[in-house]
Amino acid sequence: MAQYVVRRLMQAVVIMFLLSILFFALVNLAPGGPLAGYGQARRIPPERIAILKRQLGLDKPIPFQFVVWLIGNDWMNVDMNGDGLPDSPGTRHGVLRGDFGYSFRSRQPVLDEIFIRLPNTIYLMSVTMLVALVIAIPIGVISAIKQYSLFDIAVTTFAFAGQALPDFWLGLILIIIFYVWLKNPVTGDPLLPVGGIYTIGAPFSIVDRVAHLIMPVTAGALGWLAWYSRFLRSSMLDVINQDYLRTARAKGLSEGKVMFKHALRNALIPLVTLLALDLPYIFGGAVFIEMLFSWPGMGLLYYQAALQRDYPILMAVLIIGGISIILSNLLADVLYAYLDPRIRYS
Amino acid sequence: MGKKIFFNGISVICFLVLLIVVLTGCSPSQSAGNVPTQPTKAESTQSTNSSTAVPGVTSTSPGIEGSAITIVIPEDPPSFNAVISDSGYDALVMHMVMLGLTAIDPGGKVYPVLAAELPSQENGAVTIDKDGKMDVTWKLRSDVTWSDGTAVTVDDVIFTYSAIIDAKTGSWIPGIDLVTGVDKIDKYQFVVHFSSVYPSFLTLFGNRQVVIWPSHYCKAEQGFQSWDCGRKPLSDGPFMLDEWVTGDHLIFVRNPKFYETGKPGIDKVIVKIIPDPTVRETMMRQGDADLLMWATEQVADNLKNDTNVKVSISPSSRFVMRLFINLAAKDSTDAAANPNPFFTDVRVRQAIRAAIDVDTISNSVWHGFAVPVWTEFFRPPYNQCNIPRPKFDPEAAKSLLEQAGWIDIDGDGIRECKGCKTAKDGEKFKFELITYSEYGEPLTLTQQLIGEMLKNIGIQTDLLEVQGSIMWADTASGGIEQTGNFNMDLYDDGYAGNDPTDFIWQYYNSASATPDNGWNIGRWVNPQLDDLLNQAYTLDEPIRQKTFCDIAKLLDEQLPQILLFSTLNADAFSTRLKGVEANVNSVVSWNAADWTIIK
Repeated sequence: MAQYVVRRLMQAVVIMFLLSILFFALVNLAPGGPLAGYGQARRIPPERIAILKRQLGLDKPIPFQFVVWLIGNDWMNVDMNGDGLPDSPGTRHGVLRGDFGYSFRSRQPVLDEIFIRLPNTIYLMSVTMLVALVIAIPIGVISAIKQYSLFDIAVTTFAFAGQALPDFWLGLILIIIFYVWLKNPVTGDPLLPVGGIYTIGAPFSIVDRVAHLIMPVTAGALGWLAWYSRFLRSSMLDVINQDYLRTARAKGLSEGKVMFKHALRNALIPLVTLLALDLPYIFGGAVFIEMLFSWPGMGLLYYQAALQRDYPILMAVLIIGGISIILSNLLADVLYAYLDPRIRYS
Repeated sequence: MGKKIFFNGISVICFLVLLIVVLTGCSPSQSAGNVPTQPTKAESTQSTNSSTAVPGVTSTSPGIEGSAITIVIPEDPPSFNAVISDSGYDALVMHMVMLGLTAIDPGGKVYPVLAAELPSQENGAVTIDKDGKMDVTWKLRSDVTWSDGTAVTVDDVIFTYSAIIDAKTGSWIPGIDLVTGVDKIDKYQFVVHFSSVYPSFLTLFGNRQVVIWPSHYCKAEQGFQSWDCGRKPLSDGPFMLDEWVTGDHLIFVRNPKFYETGKPGIDKVIVKIIPDPTVRETMMRQGDADLLMWATEQVADNLKNDTNVKVSISPSSRFVMRLFINLAAKDSTDAAANPNPFFTDVRVRQAIRAAIDVDTISNSVWHGFAVPVWTEFFRPPYNQCNIPRPKFDPEAAKSLLEQAGWIDIDGDGIRECKGCKTAKDGEKFKFELITYSEYGEPLTLTQQLIGEMLKNIGIQTDLLEVQGSIMWADTASGGIEQTGNFNMDLYDDGYAGNDPTDFIWQYYNSASATPDNGWNIGRWVNPQLDDLLNQAYTLDEPIRQKTFCDIAKLLDEQLPQILLFSTLNADAFSTRLKGVEANVNSVVSWNAADWTIIK
């Protein structure tokens, strides 16, 4: 297994390198640029635009920009004052040494921008998926056990609706109900806060944090809930028809023990694998949920960076996304082998 | 085996749950991302805590005491330096904490801020030598200090100027290329040397974009665009930054060392980042926000009957929706060598203008807030040219097109060239009308209406939306306009401040008609305009007024662009907040020191 993991990690390095080339090319070759409109309504001469391009590192050919992005430019002299002659060492260390550069927009280190928002996204998405899972597992099990029952039909309908409803629409409905219509009977304030992670200026409070989570988690979890419950139902149905359950019943075990001791634990294996594959969502965030509920997370950062052509931020988010997808796939494979001893990797 | 698998499954789930719980613990604390406390924070906190609770914001800010207001904006300001990105939100927060030499009020009048008085030729502070070089002598107020007690002096002005012009790390502000140097006379007096007359000299180091930075606090080696003080500013304005949680909010507290006694009238300002426009509007309605910057026409219309909210509309607007006409053939930037097959004949341009019913567009799309505009000189002080408003007259438009050789030969409703000047006979009058997608629904609907109106006179348009970053990119990045890859564009633009000279130069001067050298993207080259514009670079106001009217007349005759209407410049505010005044020449926080709250 260790050899397998090492081999996969080595493959991952190669894949990430190729991906980074692809990402960099896609981001930089797309029509348009971060200085679009700069100088509009100002009498700005082209030589000043050239200075700005040089400051942002956009004055060099794209392959050269990629090399600087990857390994930095502190090992060579660069032209900083625009006279065409290299005059001082560069300041970039490159991604391989943990320097993702500076945001074109805020001129702040990219990793600072990422690390401010990443915990917020992990916080929201973890709770969202946890809530979805906690509700989806019993629903999926009961739906499978009571296949074609009224409960199953209702849950199936709910699941399809949950997957079909756009989360931003559901979020708006929640805002109307819990922020606009319903009031706290004691204070007269809206029943739930409309956005943010916590109440500004208030002392730390679990109740306050939970109150801020309810609407975004509800809007975000519904789709996951539907997805996981349908998946588990299907997985349970596969297991229920296996011979070893018939054997268990023949041995005289109660139906409860058969279902929860033998069926569920086997049905959960593919769900765990699925969960591992869904891990990148925890890091990537949900754009519409974050936008609607003013949640300063990765999804919103990526969306705004894409609109503003903030290439360094875009690249960092894409690389983090790529790494998390590769690692989550590896994790899924490892978990599958760990949970099911019949699986062996050579 | 089954038992082992079961426990392995449980353990993995437990691990995941544990992971989630651990990660949840990583959620930001209240102070995450806080800026370091400024030297005078203790004083300001003391001041704030002594005030009373604020009604109306308690649902979102129960911990905030004193007279506090909440402003909602859609995104983080990039920094406190409005020169870098000019997003407007940077200017909003910048003017709350820092001051420039001058500013412009909503009526277009320049007034001194850090300057003790406005320099002029009359008071001898502005001189022009025989070579046309101009010197402007400024005198600073001596009673302004930074919030750490250090005086604001000429050293700060020179420091700011040096940072801006630094070729390695500096930036650009309009007019700075005409400045040959800034010399200190004494602690509070300095002179700015210009290589030629620059009419906007009063607002060079002031108004919307530029403030003076503290030389003893900012680190020059970090550069004007990246220095730490751009995110953790030292204040000489009415407020001080107390906390900035990136992506979530900024908190400002009153600056006890602000030079105007008794101001600001508010103890605390919270700027909340609310990306969704519907949520921002809802917060205003619910009383959870006091100020909504840049209310759109839709929001202004929605809120007009709300008893808790008022909308301040600037006396004049800045942005004019307009049609940019490429006089060069598509994919060309040389109108002389490759004239546009459709628009080269001025009668065609006149026909298009006559075919567009601006009033209908205003009422049906812009809720009646769009004001018809037909000349660049529609804002004070240069709005005295009496250019008659063009009539909406589709029949006259059809007649003009026929005179220009565009006739519907085959009876399909679309005109073809029959004797027109620059297209082949039989070529249909059909082109792409492009606009940018970020503006949203009103612009999309306007584009559709214009398409319909042009169809009524036999012109077919294919409607296309592109991102602004594609439309306005430079040639190397494939920018649609700079490469000439368009026939007609639709979007809004206008000039900041009260001087249209640079704006006209940028859009109409022949020097701006070469790619990447300006925004005369219609490639309209007219020596008469160039001459007139050169005459406008004078301090003689009567000459400027006459010159601008001559330019207005020329543009009205030649129609290199077709101006349609100005969009709304407004800010919505709660009725408990007093003193808010939308300012087209700046941002809403231009007079933040004057705001008060009804207790």
